[in-house]
Amino acid sequence: MAALLRGLRAGRALRGLGRVVAAPTATDLQSGALRRGFHCAALRLQDESKSDKHPSSSSSTYHEHYQAHHSEPGPAGGPQDNLTSDPAAEEASRANTSYQDQGGEQGEEYETEEQLQARVLTAALEFVPLHGWSMEAIAAAAETLGLSSASTGMFYNGAGDLVLHFIAQCNNQLTEILAEQHNQVQLGQAEPKKTADFLRDAVETRLRMHIPYMESWPQAMSILLLPHNIPDSLKHLSTLVDDMWYYAGDRSTDMNWYTKRAALTGIYNTTELVMLQDSSPDFQDTWNFLDNRIQDVVNMAATAKQAQATGETVVQGLMGAAVTLKNLTGLNQRR
Amino acid sequence: MHRAARAALHDRSDPVGLTMIRRCLRCRVPLQLSSRAYGIVPPPRDSEEKDMLDQILRVDHAGEYGANRIYAGQMAVLGRSSIGPLIQEMWDQEKKHLAKFNEILAENRVRPTALLPLWNIAGFALGASSALLGKEGAMACTVAVEESISEHYNSQIRALMEKDPERYTELLQVIKEFRDDEMEHHDTGLEHDAESVPGYWLLKTAIQLGCKAAILVSQRV
Repeated sequence: MAALLRGLRAGRALRGLGRVVAAPTATDLQSGALRRGFHCAALRLQDESKSDKHPSSSSSTYHEHYQAHHSEPGPAGGPQDNLTSDPAAEEASRANTSYQDQGGEQGEEYETEEQLQARVLTAALEFVPLHGWSMEAIAAAAETLGLSSASTGMFYNGAGDLVLHFIAQCNNQLTEILAEQHNQVQLGQAEPKKTADFLRDAVETRLRMHIPYMESWPQAMSILLLPHNIPDSLKHLSTLVDDMWYYAGDRSTDMNWYTKRAALTGIYNTTELVMLQDSSPDFQDTWNFLDNRIQDVVNMAATAKQAQATGETVVQGLMGAAVTLKNLTGLNQRR
Repeated sequence: MHRAARAALHDRSDPVGLTMIRRCLRCRVPLQLSSRAYGIVPPPRDSEEKDMLDQILRVDHAGEYGANRIYAGQMAVLGRSSIGPLIQEMWDQEKKHLAKFNEILAENRVRPTALLPLWNIAGFALGASSALLGKEGAMACTVAVEESISEHYNSQIRALMEKDPERYTELLQVIKEFRDDEMEHHDTGLEHDAESVPGYWLLKTAIQLGCKAAILVSQRV
């Protein structure tokens, strides 16, 4: 499984590389972006090979590519060559795969690539209603931030990156809200809710974050289900559900841990689907559906508890009958 | 320019390290006053450390759970024999260990292993079947299991000591305490003629192989 994931990641990095190579080289700025794209692909590959503990063949073939490419832009490539070949500088370059050698205007602030990506993607959300979950939305956002639209090359997963970023952002927002509620309950400023109500409200709060993008949400869901996005989207889903249960006060360490999360995942996903085709005002039908599903689970849990209690009683009765039988037949050893 | 950038980076990363150390130091003061800033496990610094701690806690929890089930199986068979109270005493200690790990797991949001139902059945079956060989059989099983568990605890202690003994003081203390308890059970088993069971060596090797496999699987799944 882990090997599969690793392979997948390496494939993605290679794909990003291919895209950068395929892009047309025109202005200085674009070639700068290109170089940076290359650079980050290289780092990704290096990370891969590092975690694999042995140099993979892909990274060495990449290196040839890289050097071949670098003969074109000339002296500007110097420092970067150092960056990738010098192992001591590797740490530094990973911590700060920054913007510094791309242009003077951003040279002063040390913004990591992740931060820049997050900034562009957050801005891109505004363009989603216009362009959908697509590269166009990212490109439009990059332009409003004063970047070249070629900087979309750093999003090797394109629309997938955008959707995953949105999901991660919503999850963080929800965690903050839930943590705040949790704090208030602990300080005694708010009444503790019943677990079922708490979960219901948490799911509703989370799903309401989709409302501004409802038109294009089916597209986002289909992007999330693309094979190469599945590991990440599953990870986000599981952290979301885990956070909800944690703040609902669940501290189970047995199989309940799994059944509870599975049940909530089911509720969340079905409600999300119902919401897609809901045309009632303020999605009232969806929230009714959510209420009913939560109630189902509560009922089911009560039934399971009853069945367990009944089972235990039956077993005790049988044991008692067996002892009585033993005594009657004189088999009992403790006379 | 490149060198300047790197220098700037170092400048920036140093204060981060310092604040980290300072934060740790601040944590240690309330630790000694017993109103702790965090529980037994320090808050992980990165995902690598989190994975490592999660694995350690998950497999320990699974181990204590399995041990509990083994003693339950032994008690089901030998509960009323002369050796019953001794097994009960060891079981009670294991119950305390499990309760402790339940608490730690919940506190640190560690996922329990998905194989708990399997260990539930397998542990009970092992305990009951070894007890059916007589009290020597049960003791041989105890010796084998406790030996692998304390070996496993020892390797964890070594790993944590290699990483950062200062940082994991509390966790190390818990593991050491439990390791000593398990060693005591091991010695108790030997004192009660564990080695006199026929096929002792075979039984012990088989059980220990099973334990090693269970440990390997529980760390990951």
